[in-house]
Amino acid sequence: MSDVSTVIKREELGDVAILRILTNSVDAVSASAIEQASSNMNPITVLDFADVAFINSAGISVLLKFVVAARKEGHKIFCIHVSPHHQKIFKMVEMTRFMPIIEEQDLAAYVDANGAQAPSS
Amino acid sequence: MNRIHLHIPSDLLFERVVRASAAELGTTMGFSDERIEDLKLAVSEAVTNAIEHGNSGKRTASVEVIFSLDQDKLEIEIIDSGPGVQSFNTDRRVVEEDNLEAGMLRGFGMYLISELVDQYEVQSSSEGTCLKLRIFRPNKPS
Repeated sequence: MSDVSTVIKREELGDVAILRILTNSVDAVSASAIEQASSNMNPITVLDFADVAFINSAGISVLLKFVVAARKEGHKIFCIHVSPHHQKIFKMVEMTRFMPIIEEQDLAAYVDANGAQAPSS
Repeated sequence: MNRIHLHIPSDLLFERVVRASAAELGTTMGFSDERIEDLKLAVSEAVTNAIEHGNSGKRTASVEVIFSLDQDKLEIEIIDSGPGVQSFNTDRRVVEEDNLEAGMLRGFGMYLISELVDQYEVQSSSEGTCLKLRIFRPNKPS
């Protein structure tokens, strides 16, 4: 099993955690390492898919574990840099109802509007 | 018709090998980038099903994959050596509140396959299950 640091790079920006997914394939092989990051969520957690080229249903399953963990704590979760193909797949399974896709530049505005501590940059 | 046979152990790591092969063949067939992504996902779901459900993850049980390149289509057969299935459920499957609460986070595979390929069919017996996927070559302008 891979260590979480090989598949997720974590950045803390105030109340916001940005989890940059480093593996290009979110699938059954990478799922267990990615899942480890779901145990440490911030009030606002953002999953960054910029480097992700492939997601299958095993990958969707592990992403839903982040949704479940966030909901248990009353936290919010978003995703950024989702490719058009993955946007189509997320829409097909209605994933975006629970993990909305936002633009990175809109993140600071969102946290300001919702009273969280905004990213400093 | 050109046919390519792959035999992989029931180890999900090798699903990636089949997926990469599918992508290469999709390129050879002249599929668009988006169609190749559809193909990769459908093949990935089918091979994952064959490993996890068909062969119940028994590493010694192999999965056979046959790519058939025809003039008008790419056909992929994914064959496990499990005990067979009564049916595949391709009902539309989306993320729902109740399933999240209950921890039921899987089960999208067959629904995705049914949406992403042009045709599919299932043949199952006590000796295994064959899932056949077809994606047609785009029409060339005359």
